Parts: sequence; structure tokens; C-alpha cells
Amino acid sequence: MSRGMPLWGWSALSLVLFFGLWQGVVSAGLVSEFVLPSPIDVGERFAALMARPFAGFLLWEHALSSLGRFLGGYLLAAAIGIPLGLMMGRFRLLEDIVSPLFEAYRYVAPLAWVPFAALWFGTGIGGPIMVIFTGAFAPCLVNAYRGARLVDTHLIEAAQTHGASEFRIGLEVLLPGALPSIVAGLRIAAGLGWQSLIGAELIVVSSGIGYVMTQGQMNLSPSTVMTAMLVIGVIGLTIDVILRAVEARVRAKWEGQ
Amino acid sequence: MAASGYTGGTEKRVPWGKLVTRPRITGFLTIAALLVIWWLLTSGLGIVGEFRFPSPEQFVTAFGRIWTNGYAGGTLLVQIVQSLRLVAIGFLTAIAIGVPLGFVMGYDRRVEAFVNPIFLLLRPIPPLAWIPLAIVWLGLGDASKVLVIFVAAFVPSVINTYTGVKNTRRHLIEAAQVHGAGRGRIITEVYLPDSAPMIFTGLRLSLQASWTTLVAAELVGAFLGLGRVLQTAYRDVNTAMILVAMVAIAISGYVTTLLLAQVEKRVIRWKDAA
Amino acid sequence: MSEIAIDNVVKVFGAGGAKPFTAIDSVDFHVKDQEFISVVGPSGCGKTTLMRMVAGLETVTEGEIRVAGKRVTGPGPDRAVVFQQFALFPWKTVRENITFGMRSKGASKAERDAAVEHYLTLMKMEGTEDKYPHQLSGGMQQRVAIARSYATDPGVLLMDEPFGALDAQTRTIMQEELVRVGKDNPRTVMFITHSVEEAVYLADRVVVMGRNPGHIREVIEVGETRRAEKWSEEPIDDVMEMPSFTHLRGQVWRLLREQMGGDL
Repeated sequence: MSRGMPLWGWSALSLVLFFGLWQGVVSAGLVSEFVLPSPIDVGERFAALMARPFAGFLLWEHALSSLGRFLGGYLLAAAIGIPLGLMMGRFRLLEDIVSPLFEAYRYVAPLAWVPFAALWFGTGIGGPIMVIFTGAFAPCLVNAYRGARLVDTHLIEAAQTHGASEFRIGLEVLLPGALPSIVAGLRIAAGLGWQSLIGAELIVVSSGIGYVMTQGQMNLSPSTVMTAMLVIGVIGLTIDVILRAVEARVRAKWEGQ
Repeated sequence: MAASGYTGGTEKRVPWGKLVTRPRITGFLTIAALLVIWWLLTSGLGIVGEFRFPSPEQFVTAFGRIWTNGYAGGTLLVQIVQSLRLVAIGFLTAIAIGVPLGFVMGYDRRVEAFVNPIFLLLRPIPPLAWIPLAIVWLGLGDASKVLVIFVAAFVPSVINTYTGVKNTRRHLIEAAQVHGAGRGRIITEVYLPDSAPMIFTGLRLSLQASWTTLVAAELVGAFLGLGRVLQTAYRDVNTAMILVAMVAIAISGYVTTLLLAQVEKRVIRWKDAA
Repeated sequence: MSEIAIDNVVKVFGAGGAKPFTAIDSVDFHVKDQEFISVVGPSGCGKTTLMRMVAGLETVTEGEIRVAGKRVTGPGPDRAVVFQQFALFPWKTVRENITFGMRSKGASKAERDAAVEHYLTLMKMEGTEDKYPHQLSGGMQQRVAIARSYATDPGVLLMDEPFGALDAQTRTIMQEELVRVGKDNPRTVMFITHSVEEAVYLADRVVVMGRNPGHIREVIEVGETRRAEKWSEEPIDDVMEMPSFTHLRGQVWRLLREQMGGDL
């Protein structure tokens, strides 16, 4: 190693400084722990929320309920967005029809749908699912579309000359061919969907991590809020890591073809 | 989304003049058809009640009302300016700090090693998740919104600038070196221009994130702004006004994105370069 | 006086690491002032690495390289490089590209404008000063790259397969151009190429390298023959039919072919 600290040293230093300063500032009384809880405070609060019910449920139960809603909206977005995107990539007419609508929809922030979602679905699970759907839909569609367009024309023609139906072409040529792009889209959609879920829970639900955060905010308990942020971050990160691994696997198989 | 190239079924392009192409006609017809269906479902046949979705007439009426008399604290223009103001402050501050930071991270390995862990720690937390904390710290006013917008816009601009710098083409750097350019010139005349497209992609993502977060923050709690209009309309069960707010949000997002694209076009004048 | 002295140079990639790779093992060679040297050899013989070390873009593991008596420690405008991919700055006009190195030397605007005019006329590209690279053909881009290298008045020109990315016809024209330009602007040149014809046509001496690890197999003298047979006064296609040319070409080609067979 040449002059100076090795690279990992800089990383370690920054972590030490970050947590050290954070803890130090609170311990020294420079900032009230009701404004900025120290890392230790957050840890304690986390343990407390895992052990005793908050707003009716334990922390992990809230997390599970959030995940459930997320999966509902996410899988729906994928189930509709991917086939639709593939078909749009294949049939110009369909693309021409759907495009203008899609462009208009794209500029509406996902959370702007919350009022309609709440009016149409009340406090049921439909509302959050709809909001998550609007967040996760775009990447699924766009990436499936792009993936389909990149599929070699000759492969499709080969399938056609073998008498394959449109459905078979879609399933056995387009889908595999577009798979790397689709998986990348699924990863992006997961991030957006998870964020939309949190947003929806901030406004219209009575359980879930987002709700925990809102309650923490109303009770002026930043340690609760930060605990929830931590959980949200960890779950989001886990989903992202899993999907990245899947994406890498798919790419490896594809490049090897 | 329009692109040339492969298409599946039969394709017959009959352009009557360059403007009136088939995709344009289809798009126009689709929108027209949807408008007709909208009117039919709401006013014409009364299938969808006004507490579910407004009719076109109600929409126009609501628009007129907020434009002239105002709603939820101000006229439409006032609300737009308020939201736009917050997006501008948050976005511009974020890129003013984020782009240089991303640059230095891409350029110097040690800076990258130093900043990365904190970045990796905070990045998984979605910007929206900062809203409650921002409210606890800064209240329901402008400051908390700007903070959250800043967080949202900060990340993409750092990451994309960093990637752009790291991917600067080596033979261009070497060409500058063999012609005697010093470090400063290599940064301004090679790294920056070569990273520019990637940096602008980051800016576009930052802008998008800014609007998404602004709407969310104003929905949760605000005194003024398009999100506040949305929220008030929701409480009043005024579906027409909800729609007006949504359209206003979409158009504002679109216009700002267009402006950014124009800036990009001016700056990157060498498009189509290898 | 820009002679190049390569003294017992060894280059090992990843030295001290897990898998060191010896690219060049003990190359010892001297280029005289204003001499044109072509370097040929099979892929992997280290010819590009050698050139990059003279340019200062790679470090020397053992041995020393001196240009005009001074040890090479890094890149600089005294050793201009022409890259295979042109390496023109896409965001700069032709004028700005050509004068890039001149600005490092602090040339005045008048000097820069004069240089641009001079080189564009020399390269038969008048009127293109304000165009961007992507608006030019491959051949024209490479001419701009060459003009850019000449503009800093370097003692040494290092060219790494500069015509490799051009189509066959453009390539032949460029070879002729290089000879024409070199007549009035002689420099010390190190020219890497895969083409035996190109190597023989342009050079005073041809260095044939071998691989595993990279080393010099043989050096073939061409300059005397060129001057005696007056190649520079004939069109290139005629030269390539002359017996003196085909003889030398055959020599180089045989040396290369031995290696191909042996190393396969």
C-alpha cells in the first residue's frame, strides 16, 4: 500500500466518526434526546417495539402487514405491466394506443392517487395496493417493452414459420428474450413500489410500518420514527439485494447463451 | 416511447405530410375515444357518481373555480408557484452539493471510501420515509418539505455523477495527458464533458424524485401547495378538484422536465458523438 | 535531437501480486533522431506496451527509457501519441482539438490560428475548423488527430495502429499522406502496425517482435533500399510492386510466419 491510510481505513474512519459524533452530540447534551435520539436510544426503542405492542401490534407484525400490501400491489403491477409491455413491443398498434395514456400517467406522482384510492377502496387493502401499483407499474411496463423490442426479429420469424401461435411466441420467444431487461425493471419497480407503500401508509392506514411512523410523529417521538425508518430501510435493502442477485443470475445465464 | 425498427404485425405507414403520421392519429383517436367514454360514464349515462369520479363538466367548473377564486388557500397559480418554489429550492440545493460530491467521489478513491459507508447506510431509506422526521424537526411549514425534497434529489445526482466520472473514457484522458494538459484541464476538459450525459440523467431522476416527494410531503401536511389542494379536496370529497390537482401536478412535472431537457440540449451540443 | 534509448527494459504486469504477467522481457533498442521505426509482431508480443512505455503511459518494471537524453517518467507533449481510436475530444471542434496541446504550452491566439491553418492546409482539410468530430469521416478524424500531434512540435511521434480503424482505401491514402507530410516535417517516429506492407513502406527500419514473453526477434534495415530505389517519388501502388519492396516484405513476413506456426 502506498502512502497514507488504506482505503478500508477511510471507510472505517467515516463510520466511527458518524456514529461517534451522533452519540456524542446527544450524550453531551448538545441536542435534546427528544429531538435527536442517540443510536443507543434508537436501539432501545427498537427492542421495546419488538417486545410490546404499539398501536395494537408488535413491530414485526406491522412490518409483515406492510410487506403483504406491498406484495399485493407489486405482483399486480408485474402481472399486468410485463405482458402489456411485451405486447406493446410486439404490436405497433398497441403501442400507439397505449403510449399517450402512459406518458400522461407517468407524470402524475404515485401518491397523488391516494385520494382516489381512498375514496374508491375506503380503508380496505385496495387503497394501498392501488397506490403501490401506480408506483411499480411504469418500470415493469417500460422494461418489458424495451426488452421485447430488443429481441432479434429472426427469432420471432423462425417461430412463426414453425406455426407457433401468438401466445406461444410471447411466452417462448419474447419473454425469455426480454428477461434481463424485465428483471432489471422488476428491481426498479420494487424500490418505487416499496416507497409508494410507505407513502400510502403515511396517509391512509391504521397498521403497518408507515402508520407506526405517523404515530411516532404525532406523539413527537423521534426514536419511534427513526426505528421505523431503520426497519423500512432494512426491508427495502433486503428486497433490493435479493433482486440484484436474481438479476445477476439471469444475466450470467443469458451471456452464457 | 415512439421508436423505429421492428414491429410485429402489419405495418403500413401512410404519412400525409410528416406531422400526420399513423401513431399520431391513433394516439389522437384513443384520447378522443377516452374523453367520450369519460363523458358517457359520468354525465351521459350516470354510471359513475360524482363521489367516485367527476364528469368533464364538473372538472371544468372546478378548474374555473380554483383559477379565479382559489381553493385551499389560494388560486391555482398561487398553489403552483408554492409547490414549484419548494421543488426549485430543494432540487437546486441538492444538485449543487450532490454533483460536486459525486464528482470528487468518482475522481478520488479515498473520498469514495470515506463517503460510501454513510451513503450505503442512508440510501435504503426511501425519501418519503423522511417526512415524519422532517415534520418532527421542522414542523409543517416549508422547511420540512425542502428537507425531504433535498434528500430525494440528492441521491440520484450523486450516484449518476459518480458513475459518469468513473466511466470517463481512458483514451481521452490519455490523449489529454500526452498533449501536456495538467490535472485541472483534464478535469474540466475531459472528465466533465464525457460525464455530462450521465450527469444529466441524474438530474432528470432527481427532478422526478423531487416532484414525487413534494406531492407526498404536502399531502401529509401542508398549509399551501398542490398537495394541500389535493388533501383538502379529499377531505371535502370534491373529486373534481382532486382531478384538477392531479392534472396540475402532472403538467408542472412535465414542464419542468422539458425545461431541463432544453438546458441539456444547450450544454451538450455534440450529441451523436461516438 | 530526439533519439529514443530503450535500455534492457522489462515490463511485468501485476508484479508482486498473485499472477504476474511478463509482457516484455529485456528489450534493448535505440532509435536515431528523425528515424522512422515500424514495429510489427503477432498479438500479445508487447508492441503496444512498449510504445506506451516510451509515451510514459505505462511504467517500466526494470531498465530505462530515455528520450533526447532525459529519462521518461510520464506523458508529455514532447512525445505525441496518435491513438487507433483517434481519441479526438467529441465536444471540441477541429480547431479546438488541434490546438489542445498548444494551449498547454501557452501559445498565443495568433500562433494557434496560424497552426490550425497550416495543418489543415497540409492535411487537405481546409474549411473544417469549426466542425465537430462526429461530422467528419474516419479518415478525416485521423488526420485531425495527426495534426493535433504535430501541432505541439514534438520531437517524437508515437503511433499505435493509427490507420487500423480505417477502410482499406482510406488507409492506403493515409499511408501516402504520412510519407508526404513526413518529408517536410521529419520527426522521430515509432509506428505500431499489424500490416507488413504498411510497416515496410513507411519505415527506415522494421522491428519484428516475438511473444511469450515479448522481445525483439530481428531488426530489418529498409531505409537504404528506399532511398536507393527512390520509393518516395512513386505512387504507393507502384512501390508495392517493385521487386525491392516485395523482397523486404517477404523477409518480414517470413519472420512473422515462423512465429505463428511455432506458437500455435
